[in-house]
Amino acid sequence: MSLGGLITKEFGRIKSDKRTLILLFLIPIILIFIFGLTTGVGPTKFFTAAIITMDDIPTYGDFPSNSSEYDDNFISIMQNNSTTWTLHQYFNSTDENEYISAYIACYNLLKNEIVDIFVVLPENFSESVAKKVNPILFYYIDGSDLSAISAVEVAIQEPIALFRAEADLLANFSIMVPYLEFDVPFWESQLLNYAVPLILPIIILGTTMNLTSLSIVSEGPLPRMLITPTTKRDIILSKLIANSVIMFLQSTEIFIMTSFFGLYSLGSLFYFFLALVMIGFCGICIGLFISAVSPTEQGANQMYLIMFIVIVLFSGNFLPPELISPVMQYIINVLPLSHAIPLITDITLKGLPPNLTHIAFLNLDSLIFIVLAYIIYKFKRLEV
Amino acid sequence: MVESSTEIMVDVNNLNVIFDKNHIIHDVSFKVKKGEIIGLFGISGAGKTTIIRVLTCQIEKKNWSGNVTVTNFSPDKKQNHPLILHNIGYVPQLELLNLYYELSPLANVEVFSSTYGLDTKEAKKIAQELFKILDIPSDTWNKRVKHMSGGEKKRLSMAIGLIHKPSVLFLDEPTTGVDASKRYSILSYLKKLNQKLDTTMFIITHDLEAALICDKTAILREGRMLEFDSPQNLINSLPSNGLVARFEINDLNEAKITRISEFSPVKKVLRVGNEVVEILMESFEENLPKLIQYMIERGVTVNSMSRDSASFRRFFQIRIQEEEEREKLKKNIGEA
Repeated sequence: MSLGGLITKEFGRIKSDKRTLILLFLIPIILIFIFGLTTGVGPTKFFTAAIITMDDIPTYGDFPSNSSEYDDNFISIMQNNSTTWTLHQYFNSTDENEYISAYIACYNLLKNEIVDIFVVLPENFSESVAKKVNPILFYYIDGSDLSAISAVEVAIQEPIALFRAEADLLANFSIMVPYLEFDVPFWESQLLNYAVPLILPIIILGTTMNLTSLSIVSEGPLPRMLITPTTKRDIILSKLIANSVIMFLQSTEIFIMTSFFGLYSLGSLFYFFLALVMIGFCGICIGLFISAVSPTEQGANQMYLIMFIVIVLFSGNFLPPELISPVMQYIINVLPLSHAIPLITDITLKGLPPNLTHIAFLNLDSLIFIVLAYIIYKFKRLEV
Repeated sequence: MVESSTEIMVDVNNLNVIFDKNHIIHDVSFKVKKGEIIGLFGISGAGKTTIIRVLTCQIEKKNWSGNVTVTNFSPDKKQNHPLILHNIGYVPQLELLNLYYELSPLANVEVFSSTYGLDTKEAKKIAQELFKILDIPSDTWNKRVKHMSGGEKKRLSMAIGLIHKPSVLFLDEPTTGVDASKRYSILSYLKKLNQKLDTTMFIITHDLEAALICDKTAILREGRMLEFDSPQNLINSLPSNGLVARFEINDLNEAKITRISEFSPVKKVLRVGNEVVEILMESFEENLPKLIQYMIERGVTVNSMSRDSASFRRFFQIRIQEEEEREKLKKNIGEA
């Protein structure tokens, strides 16, 4: 056969593999389309804030407490005039004890992601504004949410600008940002502990998907196995169980290794382990789906790669979700890593119990993929 | 030859298989008794595999019609499938589809025997018996299958098919891809298994040598069963009970073949070599000298001559050729 003949044969083979052609040409179009939606046409996100005002605590004898009105103005702007902010709640603290209870309440709002920041207006806020000296504003932000920090810092400039215009204030604000990172003690491994919530779910999902994505398609004797009393349900189930055992071992290993190298978790280690197992199980279900739907090993490899990239890219940690269209946000919200990463973050860095929404979505993903895998495999024509 | 019992293991009546308006199998009927070895012969596309797929519950009922029973259960009912699959064994053409190369032979036995609910100990015992019959060296039993030779893999594949002592064993092209010397050894192993275990065997093949071990042979062409009988009966159905005159002829050509065919007792002239023909004729003993005389008179120079009995291969060739000629004629009449 001549070289021309070999080349023609290759073209013929590629042409006959419709799935490869779809992956080759359709996926880039889909990705370009999705990225196209991210360039400035996405909706503006509304951030939510809480405010503690200490402005009613007089600081100077010559400045009567009833003159402290600027804090009300600021609160009003946050509540009514700002296009980017929603005021969840404000607290008026007239003494130290009230401030402490307001601070605890706000801390919990922040920790539970009900608010994005909480602002503290200090005792001398109105005085500073009235005297046209630069007023100080504190805001507390969740430092564990890296993607939100910059967005919040930009967004807070809007109500400040509105306030300065209303108060005819030339001086700018001095902003104090005591980050609440729910942080890791200095003696623990900073790199490991900050990387854990991001890296672990990606690794577990990726490896478990990889574990199972070839398990059906590459097993030659499987169709012959169906000329025994074995059913397709048995085959899927046995793979699910065997791979889950492997995944359980993998999760245990990861758990032990991270603990050994200084995992600092504010939350329960049991919850942390449970989250690892749920993420791994989801990966197994996605992998089995890939293996059931793919006609060849090559097809399964390609599908695995594409699905993994999409899941990682749209986990909310690489592309800011607020810049993506609402329709796409719904899709992103269903993807497993969009829930796996916050789930681990909540447990390790914030000490929260597992978020039920994240758990529900993660397990829903697993259920959908395993059911799809079974249905597809059941109707797949297999001949020996 | 094993004395066959009267128990019918496979009964096929008027089997038709249709896929998307393509009529693949046309009115095929046959019966197979317990302990028989049946050979399904035909060139590619004859429908051999399709028939086996119906019998092994691989084709949905919507695609076939007819009355079929395998070990007294009909594959038309889904609830019968586990019963049938329990009673049959299957040996695919490629070992890759039957064996886990990364496991040992005994581990493979465990995998497959578990699907029939066999106890591991019992399965190992059966396996060891089968391994001995099939001469699978004991030092390979616990090594990975991938280290076994091609012949050993083939025999292991047969053992796996028989692990649950099935009533009927289906073998898909058991001698394909095996060199000539090993082909005979595989066929003799099959015969040995058949004799020792009394297992009914169904061999799908286009290796006509397999007929040597078959009690009955079916010849299929384009989904139709042309013949179903013992190889000897089929050979005997040829003129003069299959006696063949083989001539080596100088400068053999089509004109000379036509000239020989024109001798009225001659029923078939087959060119089997560059200068060799085989001739079948009525009243062989009486007409052979007359044929030689006829050939000399018409300038057909014979270098040598021998006589023999037709083989199953020759019968197959004649039967397929006849069918092709008949179809050609039918087509010509249709066109006219």
